[in-house]
Amino acid sequence: MNLTRTASSTALAVEGLTRTYGDGDATITALAGIDLAFARGSFTAVMGPSGSGKSTFLSCAAGLDRPTSGRVLIGGEDVTDWDEERRTRLRRERIGFVFQGFHLLPYLSAAQNVALPARLAGRKPDRARVRGLLERVGLGDRTHHLPGSMSGGQQQRVAIARALATEPEVVLADEPTGALDSATAREVLGLLRTSVTELGQTVVMVTHDPVAASYADEVVFLVDGRVAGRMSHPTADAVAGQMAHLDDLVVAR
Amino acid sequence: MSTTTSLAWRSLRHRPLAATATALAVLLGTTLIGSFATLTESSFAASGTDADTLVVLGAVVGGWGTLIVLFSVASTVGITTTHRASEIGLLRTIGATPRQVRRLVVRETAVVAGLAAVLGALVASVSGHALFALIRSGGLVTDHTRYDAGPASVGAAALLVLLASGVATSLAARRATRGPAGVLVREASAEQGRMRWWRVAAAVVLIGYGIAMAVITVAVTAHDDDPYAAMSTSGSSSILVGVGLAVLAPVLLRWLATPAGLLVGRAGASGHLASYNTARRAHLLAGVLAPVVVLTSAAVGTLLLVDIDTRTLPAGTPDSDTINLLNNVVVGMLSLFAAIMVVNAFVATVAHRREELHRLHLLGATPRQVERSVVAEAGIVAAIGVLLGTMAALTTVVPFAIARHEGAVPDGGLWMVPTVVAAVVALTLAAARTSVRTQRRAQAVGR
Repeated sequence: MNLTRTASSTALAVEGLTRTYGDGDATITALAGIDLAFARGSFTAVMGPSGSGKSTFLSCAAGLDRPTSGRVLIGGEDVTDWDEERRTRLRRERIGFVFQGFHLLPYLSAAQNVALPARLAGRKPDRARVRGLLERVGLGDRTHHLPGSMSGGQQQRVAIARALATEPEVVLADEPTGALDSATAREVLGLLRTSVTELGQTVVMVTHDPVAASYADEVVFLVDGRVAGRMSHPTADAVAGQMAHLDDLVVAR
Repeated sequence: MSTTTSLAWRSLRHRPLAATATALAVLLGTTLIGSFATLTESSFAASGTDADTLVVLGAVVGGWGTLIVLFSVASTVGITTTHRASEIGLLRTIGATPRQVRRLVVRETAVVAGLAAVLGALVASVSGHALFALIRSGGLVTDHTRYDAGPASVGAAALLVLLASGVATSLAARRATRGPAGVLVREASAEQGRMRWWRVAAAVVLIGYGIAMAVITVAVTAHDDDPYAAMSTSGSSSILVGVGLAVLAPVLLRWLATPAGLLVGRAGASGHLASYNTARRAHLLAGVLAPVVVLTSAAVGTLLLVDIDTRTLPAGTPDSDTINLLNNVVVGMLSLFAAIMVVNAFVATVAHRREELHRLHLLGATPRQVERSVVAEAGIVAAIGVLLGTMAALTTVVPFAIARHEGAVPDGGLWMVPTVVAAVVALTLAAARTSVRTQRRAQAVGR
């Protein structure tokens, strides 16, 4: 297997990923063995009904949660058994995060929030680059504003600029439009799309919104902690239809 | 049980830490004020100089203490209420009227503070007795004067503390419920709430009164035949000015944190975060700054006062012994109280920031970076606090030194200033470190 970072064409891969909570009769299986690979420069949406394991998958991929078994590979490198310290460094240097709740630091300006991952890594932030990223997300005139004085959409755009700041292997987005209205959501999704098309970024987005999923190259459906299907070149209608079908499967069980 | 009351119960069980902070402040406050109140009550049964001594001890000494205690209780209760801004915003959004929210918050405090005040009153009736025994064994009162205090004095102390926490809670709740519902849900933590006029007015009165007493000391009482006249006018200045500055803590912190942050801000990511958090969210950390200022000003002012007094007057006279013991008791009790308030305020503030500190962790900050940034904040707050506190102490030390013919700078005892400063800084940093670590451990267990 090829372990060098630059040579791998897979940004993120999980192999036989399982995660269970509790033990004995009370065991809950959140992930029941998942194999997925996300190619460099791809935009993938992960969808599924509530409790399908979407969030657990993202937590395991990000190194926030340890899988019960299986492997997690970032840029071809197996990070499953890394200790907390190394996984923390991994998160700030090689993974970009976009959360539903934005997760900006309230007392840092837009520019300072974008520069934060570099600072945490002990590097001096590149001002021009931070500025460039904020301009890219359309906030070039708001670099010194605090999150409290921005709208939800603007805050999420700052969060996207922050996620892109370290040129990560993969950007993990957890319901990034969940707290936004549909017009603002389209802007945010457009930004994620262009970061893939123009910058060659890799984006993995967990969502339950068919419209959001239609911005992706491919949709992966999870049901009961297993991969239940895939769809290339998704449209909102096709995704919505598939989701309704999956919901029926869950209800019928 | 009404809806509001049952909601208050549930909410209390959900936030034991904040409730503990309030309870601790009320319990200690009632104990401190109550103990001195029993002396005043005992004075009614005493006669002659004994009665005078007890009144001075109870009313005058207890009076200074009361000022600090009431301020601390009010600020602790204020911190815990302000920290609930987003929850209050949520309640308002789902249709709770401002009145309902205020009632919820006030009832919650009433339950916690009520229990703590009753407990404090019980402790005070024991500790008041002990204080009396100490005073009698020190020969300050004669043997035939007896401890004679019932529930009246400790009850009054408890009521006073309850009243102060009640007023502080309703003011904080009123502030939190002002304005339309929707706006409140937004991350309230970035805003820099403006100071209300009455707060500025109270600070001006306290500082003005303290400075006026200092001026009177130099101009009038320094020339009095009674050597203690100067002490009685200058003695409380440091505490008055200290509390006055503490009332202004949010504004002072915002002004002073920027230059202080420039120094710390160079020290890596943690220093960078700390400098912006202290400057931009001064209202959060002001609750920690306030007791640091009061602790420093009371300790430095009173210790130097006692030192100048023992140096300039022949020791051994019963009068000077009494007064020195008195002053030392005051410094001891108030320092203990203020120290607990510093720790209390830090625990409450870090508990409030759990979500935000976790956010830093998600973004890739190591536990050590998170801890260092909170400790750096504590460092900035401590530096500003001891600076302001020492300045406040000057209003006692300088006039009294002049009155006792030592000039503006006392002839000795200056080593006490860096000692107190070092102790206060160490306490603040330790409080910060312990609260972050406790928080982290609680989170690890909770997961």
